[in-house]
Amino acid sequence: MFVEKFLNHISNWGKLWFGLIFLGNIFNEILEKFNILSGSSYVWVLSFGLGALIGLIGKIRGAWL
Amino acid sequence: MKESPEIAAEFSFKNEKVIAKSFSQRFQWEMILIGLGQAVIWLSLWPLVLNGLLDLWAGFLIASLCACFAYLPSHEAQHGNYSRGNPKLRWLDSLVGHITLITLKFPYHILRITHMKHHAYTNDPEKDPDYANAHNTSVFKVVKNVLDGSTVQFDKYLEVFQNDKAFVNSFHQAIPIALFYKAAPLVLVVFFPFETFLLWWLPSKIGSVYTTVFFSYYPHLGTSTGRYQNTRFWSHLMPRFFNHSMQLHFIHHLHPGIGHYDEPKAIEALKPFLVARKVPGADDIPDRITFNPLIKI
Repeated sequence: MFVEKFLNHISNWGKLWFGLIFLGNIFNEILEKFNILSGSSYVWVLSFGLGALIGLIGKIRGAWL
Repeated sequence: MKESPEIAAEFSFKNEKVIAKSFSQRFQWEMILIGLGQAVIWLSLWPLVLNGLLDLWAGFLIASLCACFAYLPSHEAQHGNYSRGNPKLRWLDSLVGHITLITLKFPYHILRITHMKHHAYTNDPEKDPDYANAHNTSVFKVVKNVLDGSTVQFDKYLEVFQNDKAFVNSFHQAIPIALFYKAAPLVLVVFFPFETFLLWWLPSKIGSVYTTVFFSYYPHLGTSTGRYQNTRFWSHLMPRFFNHSMQLHFIHHLHPGIGHYDEPKAIEALKPFLVARKVPGADDIPDRITFNPLIKI
């Protein structure tokens, strides 16, 4: 039962989680590495927010591209 | 198999099978070496890059090459071409089939069962899991669909084959591995963002695009249903060694037991049969294929 619920969740919300965690971490690293907005405490909010937004758009559209 | 009266007795299925079988015996050591070798190379990239012994961009290029070599060894395993019917060697099919797919992040069980259905129902719009790839309108659309994941419709085929117990069981067997391949990059990216992106995620996409375009789209482009009509001989501006000789994929559909590296010789021997059966493009098959790049510009 739990496994089924978990799989349904992944199937429905996988793109959002991917955007938030995967893309968010990549964006965060890019901003940090290239000193873009360095020093700002909102860098991670921007990175993970953008990742989550892309993931949400992917979820709503049902496809990434 | 019921023979058409148009086919001369010398080109009977029985005779064809005898010749094909003579090319279906050899132990496929090259594929085992490529499958396990590329996985070992790919895994070794991680410590090398993380310890600064290899540049990340060089690692990315090597990982992408590994991903392009990853599918075919698993494909041989899917057909049991390592064990060749010997139950004591079945572990070898599983081992190579699973390990080589790490680079592409695909569970072996799902690829095996969907590939078997692809062979059984090639070009059937409802039942062929590769139909969406093979019958797309352009190579660019295939690339786009692979990149956004819309060619992977495993759930749809779970519904189509819901009464096939073996299919459903194998599908469920694959779930833990599928979850691992979804979760692992999400964990790794927290600690190694660029490395996860350039050593695994992007190479797996490049490998998937390469595999789908050359293994699925081109060989079945414009073909119909039926044993001798569902795959074609084709040529391309790219020498065959760069696309794993997928110009010769039709012989695999006719006789999946023939090992990949034995296909050129098998085609030379079977060419008269293929011409007689009107395999699409058969008239253009060269008499000797050994080092022929099959280029068409």
